Amino acid sequence: MSEPSPIVLVVDDEIQIRRFLRTGFELNGFVVHEASTGTEAIRAATLRPIDIVIVDLGLPDMDGSEVVERIRSWSTVPIIVLSVRSSEAQKVRLLEIGADDYVVKPFGIAELLARVRVALRRQSRAASGEPAVTVGPLTIDLAARAVTLNGARLTLTPKEYRLLQVLAQHAGNVVTHQHLLKEVWGSIHMQDTHYLRIFVRKLRQKIEPHPDSPKILATELGVGYRLAYSGAEGENGAPVMAPAKSEI
Amino acid sequence: MLHALKYNVLRKELRGIGLTFCLVAATTALIFFIILQIGLTRGTVAYLIPVLIAATRWGVVSALFAAILGVLASAFFFFEPRFSFHISDPQEIINLILYIFVAVVVSQLATRLKRQLEISRQREIDMRDLYAFSRRLAVAFDVADIQSAIEDHLTTVMQRKVALFSGARDSAGGNRRRPAGAVPDRVLAEVESFTAARRDNVTGVTVAGDNGEAWLVRAVSPKSPEFGLIAINFGKNSQEDSDELRIRVDAALADATATLERLGIAHAINEAHMRSQTDQLREALIGSVSHELRTPLASILGAATVLSTAPALQGEAKLLALVQDVRSEAERLNDDIQNLLDATRISSDGIKPQAEWADPADIIDSALERCRGRMAGHRVVLNMPSDLPLIYVDPVLVKQALVQIFDNAAKYSAPGSQISIAARARDGRMILSVSDQGAGLTANEQPQIWDRFARGERHAATTSGSGLGLWIANAFVAANGGKMNAVSDGPGLGATLAIELPVTQATVPQMESDADE
Repeated sequence: MSEPSPIVLVVDDEIQIRRFLRTGFELNGFVVHEASTGTEAIRAATLRPIDIVIVDLGLPDMDGSEVVERIRSWSTVPIIVLSVRSSEAQKVRLLEIGADDYVVKPFGIAELLARVRVALRRQSRAASGEPAVTVGPLTIDLAARAVTLNGARLTLTPKEYRLLQVLAQHAGNVVTHQHLLKEVWGSIHMQDTHYLRIFVRKLRQKIEPHPDSPKILATELGVGYRLAYSGAEGENGAPVMAPAKSEI
Repeated sequence: MLHALKYNVLRKELRGIGLTFCLVAATTALIFFIILQIGLTRGTVAYLIPVLIAATRWGVVSALFAAILGVLASAFFFFEPRFSFHISDPQEIINLILYIFVAVVVSQLATRLKRQLEISRQREIDMRDLYAFSRRLAVAFDVADIQSAIEDHLTTVMQRKVALFSGARDSAGGNRRRPAGAVPDRVLAEVESFTAARRDNVTGVTVAGDNGEAWLVRAVSPKSPEFGLIAINFGKNSQEDSDELRIRVDAALADATATLERLGIAHAINEAHMRSQTDQLREALIGSVSHELRTPLASILGAATVLSTAPALQGEAKLLALVQDVRSEAERLNDDIQNLLDATRISSDGIKPQAEWADPADIIDSALERCRGRMAGHRVVLNMPSDLPLIYVDPVLVKQALVQIFDNAAKYSAPGSQISIAARARDGRMILSVSDQGAGLTANEQPQIWDRFARGERHAATTSGSGLGLWIANAFVAANGGKMNAVSDGPGLGATLAIELPVTQATVPQMESDADE
């Protein structure tokens, strides 16, 4: 890799968590900065170039969501939130105030690394203006408004395409129901999740090899959808591990 | 005060008498008109009409007055010689005496009827109020519920705006907690000082509120401070009216207090206080257990996953296996803690489903994803049609219920055996069923599996578990308006556990999809 190492800012008051995150990130070629309080984190984010921020929600001096809001007010740096409290409503709120993704504690390092890579890739794609998003066998060319599956062109209705487009713009990260409904149907339909369910079903019939166990358009129950290819981590050279997902 | 009462009664009677006079005059005019037009001469009986009306509307005094007026008017206007009270025909005198007798009897009967009607109507209203009140009390859970029930009850009884303030027991902000609607600040101040000092003062204090309205502040009951203080809006009344109102308030409050005492309200209030304290304690405990136990777990699990990828350990199969043990045990511990937290949440009535339109296929897929590791040794067969209806549930709760069932199926059936998962909609219900080829259930076990801490005795020695899983699943499904059932052909013959959820039709306008194509 000739690219410079990505710089990650880890914000957590537990030293044990910071320690394993530092080791995990360094083993995977990241440069790690640490902060143990919200104030320190905000200062670090203003003083140094940072590529991605990992924020714990329970900080001694302020709520993690406040750190997200403050950093988001002047920076587009990707932010991933670590949370032990994990009601779906709270996740939705975090995403709405500008977090790119969340990981529920306890989690495995592979799961976090996968989220971090996705967020970094999205950031670099946004910076380079690259128009095509590839998710496994699916390619969405945002400039040409063309969708291909294994090289074959798909025919989508305008609403189906719009849905896929919004998901592709956030490829790899969760997009909340409310955001999708607002972008595709308009803000008066923000509570009409059943529209979304029906259209996701139709879309899956077209893009998923097995619509019953979707591998491309994944559901985040109670939160939203994520456009991500399940095999992607393996291909990227990250260790293949069953992600240590935790329950709410 | 008694003067005031008498004055009021007198005024009412005078009004009745005045109206009666008008009525008799109108009747006289009518009879006069009939005599002039048609030539009929015997109209005295028509004077029974004003007697009846007066008796039913204004009472016995007005009725008798109407009777006397009727006699006088008949004698003066209609009997010969006319326009004098002298009556020449003895037949007419007998008629008049009969008329007087009938009038008196009728007025007596009518007034009695009127009074009974009023009483029974009042009794009906009272009964209805009392019934509504006791029903609200039955469902009241905390002090605020009970108080607002009492407040509404008193408002109905007094027919005045009433604000109730809790007793001194929780005076630390307790009085302010209730918004108390449009109670003026001056009255609130009086309530404060009343709470502080003169709580036994039953007569109470009248406070002038804003815009000239008078408020009475007093203890609801001198004997039971639990019932708190009451502020009653007397409106813009004269001093005399206020005095009368005070008497009514005394009577109504004595009644209401008796009712409250009979219903054991004081006890209920104290109990509600205790319950809310227990709840707070429990919530604090859940929160701290959740944090204190899971924070170190996050470090353990995270560190184990980092170790398992560390280059230094690659090739050290034995060490890697140890690391894997640390990781899987930490995950198990995390699940157990989660189950305990869920159980606590259920017992404290804390499940609040966040319902939304959800695709059953998504729920099953998420649950499968979550249990992938646990069911890796089994053959999982999924059978569901592609046109399942959407269901309006909390998808996360249903998924967690499914996870418990999957976990159960994997735990009690041999590796390599089949676990079939099916979803189907039938008769307005969505049925998600999970069948295994495992230990099955005995007839005795079948009804017990939903119990808290239920563990089959046959498996206690061989399989670990808290016995909370299916109890939690059942509670989560019930919170979504569904139910669960279990079927088994017997021990060793496998079991089928099913979740049944209600299906209500989602209105998805079809044209939405095609409108812009």
